[in-house]
Amino acid sequence: MAGPKRETSAPDAGSLGGFGRYAGPATLILSSLADGAKHGYALTKDVEAFAGVRLAPGTLYEALSRLEGQGLIEALESQDRRRPYRLTAAGAAALRAHLSDQRRVADVGLRRLAEGWGTP
Amino acid sequence: MTAPRDASARRAARMLRWYPAAWRGRYGDEFAELLIAEFDEQPRSWRRAVDVVRGGLLARLTCAGLTGHPLEPAEQIRAGLATAACGLATCLALGIAMWAQLTIGWAWAPPGTSGPTVAMVAMSASVLLLAALALLAALPLAWAVARSALRRDGWCVRRPALLAAAGLVTLAVGSRHFANGWPGTGSHSWAQPGLVPAGVAAFGWAATLSVSAYWAHPAALAAFPVAEITWMAVSPAALIAAVAGVAALVRRIDLPARTLRYEAWLASGAAGTMIIFLAGACWWLLAGASGPGLFHPGAIDAASVAVMMLALWMARRATSQARKSALSSRLL
Repeated sequence: MAGPKRETSAPDAGSLGGFGRYAGPATLILSSLADGAKHGYALTKDVEAFAGVRLAPGTLYEALSRLEGQGLIEALESQDRRRPYRLTAAGAAALRAHLSDQRRVADVGLRRLAEGWGTP
Repeated sequence: MTAPRDASARRAARMLRWYPAAWRGRYGDEFAELLIAEFDEQPRSWRRAVDVVRGGLLARLTCAGLTGHPLEPAEQIRAGLATAACGLATCLALGIAMWAQLTIGWAWAPPGTSGPTVAMVAMSASVLLLAALALLAALPLAWAVARSALRRDGWCVRRPALLAAAGLVTLAVGSRHFANGWPGTGSHSWAQPGLVPAGVAAFGWAATLSVSAYWAHPAALAAFPVAEITWMAVSPAALIAAVAGVAALVRRIDLPARTLRYEAWLASGAAGTMIIFLAGACWWLLAGASGPGLFHPGAIDAASVAVMMLALWMARRATSQARKSALSSRLL
């Protein structure tokens, strides 16, 4: 079955393509910030609650610094040494594009599973 | 602050030391708060400790311009050039020690096989080219340092400039002094004409006297004159001071884009030249040698080549990231 073919290209600054092994943590962080600003610990707890993944501190801050460097999130004024972060418009667009790509892959996989293996 | 929180804060501060100062300045407070909250929830976790160490080392590599992300482009270029300078200086120090040994060996008697001959020609040509590149790189930097240091707010440049100057002067004066007593052929009638002037070989030998297998043989080392042992300890400190001073200058001086482009180009050229030098050194190691003992490679030469390869990889990566960053920001 031939479908629309997507060309692979170098990741642009406003996408998650250039995050490599940090694409997973970056997606989780952006998804967590999609409903409002959060500081580091709140982010960790929220991600753990909705994804079942515990982001370790070093990994969390490596991803946060990369996201901030690319303008996908921004830091707010710190509160008692805790600094909240919020999603930028570029971050929202990058997250939407990334999740749409993932949904397309998930849809294809689920459809083929249903065709070949039946529904559970 | 309660006692447990106080203890957690101290523990968090200790873990934060894995990260570079610049990173701590930006993220230190909030990261410490996160760690303290994590300690409350899960007091001990080796996975967390490993993750923090890994994150700290990665942040240090990023600060050194080796990961290409996420420094601001001009900062990335400066960091890359400073790291390249450190890597190339390490290569050069170990390489000169090896090269001086061969030049002295050649002065005693020319090599009997092609291995050391080819290696010596390649290494000598590389050293000559590296010296020219170092001079070309130093001139605009020295000019920029002089201009910055003379300004009223030039204190942040004066300290590394003084450190670099003190290191270089100590190295030059000490090497000149000890070169006068080098174990070469001097004016012996049986001396062979070497590939390079005897004075240059002697200077190279004296400057890198600390790169020696004698450190592993304390009894033999103890038989050396005290002044020589002192110089073996002082000369690497002088070299480190000089390189650290130059690296700090490169990071602190606001060099114009054209000069950054020029320095990045020279650093690439120096890294390429160092590959030729290393190829010569490897040729010598693999081909073996005949002739006087100085032509026979030892374990320290193999170890030096291994360290040089690592330092050269670091320098090439730093240079490549600097050039990439400059291209992406249209600085080049």
